[in-house]
Order: sequence, then structure tokens, then C-alpha cells
Amino acid sequence: MTVDGWFIAGMIVGLASTIICIVAAVMKKKPNDLTLVSLAAVELFIVVYAVASIIRLAMGASIMGETWEFWGYMFTAAALPVAGFYWAMMERTFWSNYVMSAVGVTVVVMMARMAQIWYGTGLSVQGLQQGIGS
Amino acid sequence: MKNTLNTATEQVTPGRTSGAGRLLITVYGVFAISASARAGYQIATQFGEAPVAYLLSAFAAVVYIVATISLAKPGRTWARIAAAAICIELLGVLAVGALSLFDAQAFPHATVWSMFGKGYGYIPLLLPIVGLWWLYRHRTATAK
Repeated sequence: MTVDGWFIAGMIVGLASTIICIVAAVMKKKPNDLTLVSLAAVELFIVVYAVASIIRLAMGASIMGETWEFWGYMFTAAALPVAGFYWAMMERTFWSNYVMSAVGVTVVVMMARMAQIWYGTGLSVQGLQQGIGS
Repeated sequence: MKNTLNTATEQVTPGRTSGAGRLLITVYGVFAISASARAGYQIATQFGEAPVAYLLSAFAAVVYIVATISLAKPGRTWARIAAAAICIELLGVLAVGALSLFDAQAFPHATVWSMFGKGYGYIPLLLPIVGLWWLYRHRTATAK
């Protein structure tokens, strides 16, 4: 896959959120501003990435793989932080931070898959073996 | 959310859907979504290439969906359904994992359970073991 700035930025935001949430959970802290902001940052990143992708497509860029698959991943990735937030907040214990930590890393894997679809993998069948979302 | 009353000790989780159970259900949920999406995509676009592997993907997706829902529902019946679904999941990952390892020709197309879930960080292999252990630990809580 081609690693671009979008993937690197998404990886930093996603992994940072996961690490922050795991550290907070290990410290037996309940969700606080820091962990919630880190989750919100993941959501914000996906929204920015989606808008930027629309602009890039409007400017003449094209998706190598299936367009609907790319947007399917985008929609799911955008829904994950929201779903994770509600599921974590229904019972506010330090476990909520573990739940929220699962969101960032999952979004990173989905970002990897979206980069593969955008640039094409060359190995369409093999490419499907990579990543949680494939 | 009857279990939220227990705030005295966070270590003791009374219910299946409480504490670490929420993380377990989260991971099952992620797998349910990704396995469904993957199976749906494979069947929609490349079904003719490997119908058996892709039907297996669809079966795995259904197992994950049933496991997620039954883990999240309270009560004894749902616990039994969860245990059954997770046993099927464990058998599936062991059988498909072993077959893909020793008879690679039979599984040229990857499924979630190929190579014991290597493409998914071996989580598919660990998840049913953790799931069964979790259900076993909470068997009394569910029997109420």
C-alpha cells in the first residue's frame, strides 16, 4: 500500500488515542477530558479526511479500488468513535477507557484499508488478507 | 443497567455485560461488523472465485453477530446462546486454522479464521477462549 500523509496523520491520531485511553485505564481512571478529547480527535480526523477526500475527488483525483467500499469504510470509521463513546458511557468505570481504546486502533486499521483502496494494492486478493476491516 | 449499582468494588463485576465484559462485547462487535462487511464484499464481487471460502466468511460473520448480541443480553438463555456461538467460533477457528495450515490448497482464499486468524493479529483465536472463560466466570451471576 501507499503510505501518504493522510494515513500517517490518521495513524498518529488513532494510536495516540488508543495509548492515552489504555494508560488511563491501567491507572484505573474513569473517562476524563483527556481520553474523551482523544476520542473526539479521532472523529474529527475522520470528518476532515472525508471532506478532504470529497474535495480531492472533485479536483480530479480518482479512487483505484471500489468507490462504495472506500465510503463504506469511511462511514464505519466515522460511526466507531460515536458508538464507542455511547457504549463506554453507559457504564462509567475505568473499563470504559479500555472500550474507547479499541476505537483508535480499529480506525488506524481501517485507514490502512482505505489507503489500499484509494491507491490500489496491485494484489487485490492478497490485499484482502490484511487488516481487520478487510 | 441494573449492574451499575455495584460501585463499592470495581474489581468485582457482577454481570456479564459489566466491566471487562463491555470490552469483550466491543471487540466482538468490531469483529461482527468487519466480518460482515468483508463477507458481504467478497460475496458481492468475487463469489464465483471461491464460493466455499466466502460462504465460510459469511458463516463466521453470523457467528460473530450472534455472539455479540447474546453476550450483550442479560439472562440465562442468552448466556447459553452465547456459549454455543462461542464454542462454534472456537471450533471454526481451530478447524479452518488447521486446514489452512496443513492443506493450503483447500483454502486459497483467506477467511477470518484462516491461519488461526493471523491476518487479524490472532485475535480470532484468543477471542473465543477469553469469551468462554468470561461466561464461565459469570455463570452464577447469569443463573439468577
